[in-house]
Amino acid sequence: MQPILKFEQVEKRYPNGVQALKGVSFEVSEGEFISVIGPSGSGKSTLLRAINRLIPITGGSVLLDGQEVSGQRGGSLRALRRKVGMIFQNYNLVYSLSVLQNVLHGRLGYMKGVKGIFGLYSEEDKREALALLGELGMEQFSYNRAADLSGGQKQRVGIARAIMQKPKLLLCDEPIASLDPSSAKTIMDLLHDMTQRRNIACIVNLHQLDVALKYSTRIIGLARGEIVFDGAPEDLDDATIEKIYGTSRENLMIGGGGTLDDKTDPAYCA
Amino acid sequence: MTKRIPLIARDLKRLYTGFLIAAVVLFVVCSLLTGFNVMTLIQNGDAFWKFITEDFLPPALPKASRIPGVLSSVLVTLALAMSSTTVAAILAFFVALFGSEKVSPFPRCAKFVRGFATFLRNIPALVWAFILFSSLGIGTGVGFVALCITSFAFMVRAFVETMEDVSQDCVESLQAVGATFPQRVAQAILPSCLNGFLSWFLYCVEVNIRASTIVGMVGGGGVGLTLFSYIKSFRYDIALSIILLIAAMVIVVDQITSRLRKEILK
Repeated sequence: MQPILKFEQVEKRYPNGVQALKGVSFEVSEGEFISVIGPSGSGKSTLLRAINRLIPITGGSVLLDGQEVSGQRGGSLRALRRKVGMIFQNYNLVYSLSVLQNVLHGRLGYMKGVKGIFGLYSEEDKREALALLGELGMEQFSYNRAADLSGGQKQRVGIARAIMQKPKLLLCDEPIASLDPSSAKTIMDLLHDMTQRRNIACIVNLHQLDVALKYSTRIIGLARGEIVFDGAPEDLDDATIEKIYGTSRENLMIGGGGTLDDKTDPAYCA
Repeated sequence: MTKRIPLIARDLKRLYTGFLIAAVVLFVVCSLLTGFNVMTLIQNGDAFWKFITEDFLPPALPKASRIPGVLSSVLVTLALAMSSTTVAAILAFFVALFGSEKVSPFPRCAKFVRGFATFLRNIPALVWAFILFSSLGIGTGVGFVALCITSFAFMVRAFVETMEDVSQDCVESLQAVGATFPQRVAQAILPSCLNGFLSWFLYCVEVNIRASTIVGMVGGGGVGLTLFSYIKSFRYDIALSIILLIAAMVIVVDQITSRLRKEILK
């Protein structure tokens, strides 16, 4: 089976001299649910944004669905980008617009000219958006302003927008970092179910090690821009965790381990 | 006896004292340079007082036949401010899109756009008016252009900052969706910044009401020119009524715009 995404010796050096990615290589196939873990500044966000060229790379190559990403411009870049849905820590919605309008933004990549500019979506798209909101339990909020929603609800709108793109790959940049434990669990469950049902590969940047262990089919550990672990969650041992975070397991707040008694929810951990 | 306990750190106290001394010295030097003397004002107080009481007071109405003309000149001033600000705002919106590194499709040019706007902005409307009057002749149309230039430059700057504050996140998400630049502008930047833009626009209307009076005085027409013609013909009592009229006009417009701005930013 052809991989959906292929990184080959990808390098990224920012103009200020910071080397965010060093020779990163990996492949992603259909249906995988991958968590990328690593301390702040290890290059997780850069890795994610290199995939849809929100950040251009400085070396190596990124192949998305068999196409080189770095050479693309204009229309062909847009065509590649719409294959990749993205979910953000800060939801990145347009808060003055309605929930439905925000969800329909997922279709903009498919629209041309005046129709896209004035938001003249087809009835079919609108029906689909409402159905998707129903699936996420958000139907009654369709005509609320996005600003009036709670954090968890905003992130559900973010998921709906990404799914509207009919993506082959979903990128999630710390999707639960701004959420309370119970919303975080809802969001992770939704992400997992919706991507599995639609056979969308999913890459999630996470700070919560226990969440990564619970949901992923595969974990990638990043430290100082390099991949130091790439394997099944079962294979992530204490020595590897120490290698990723640069400190031993006792110094990390890892939820769900059962050693701490103040745990209320496995999603609650830093 | 114990030493008094200081309330703030000693070096901070020294810094404040230094600032105070520097401010006093600066004031003294500047007063000497301008030749301002409180005593002259007091000595000439009589003449000044006489001017106020005899020439200015009481305010007099212009001849009945002139009143409609005066009122219509107030309308001209209001119209001048409104129309020039509106045209400037529309132009400024499109230019501001290219003035922000985070939004513009050509981020390298953003600095030049902002630099150009700053250059235009730092020349006061009155100077523009004089330059344009000398080259194009006097008239309301030229006053319009002069006001347009400065409020355009001001709003470019204000709009760029509004955009950078508000819309960076949603611009990124629409970029990820595969939206084109016009789509990002219409679907993300405009809806999320509209309130900010309107608030700046109303502020600019406020500023331009005052500026259009001044620009009018030097040849732009409107109530400024009417006022100036009465001053030149030594009818200070009528001039005073017109000054009061201008003040009333500015106050009313300020009240309306500030209330609208509060509503918008809710």
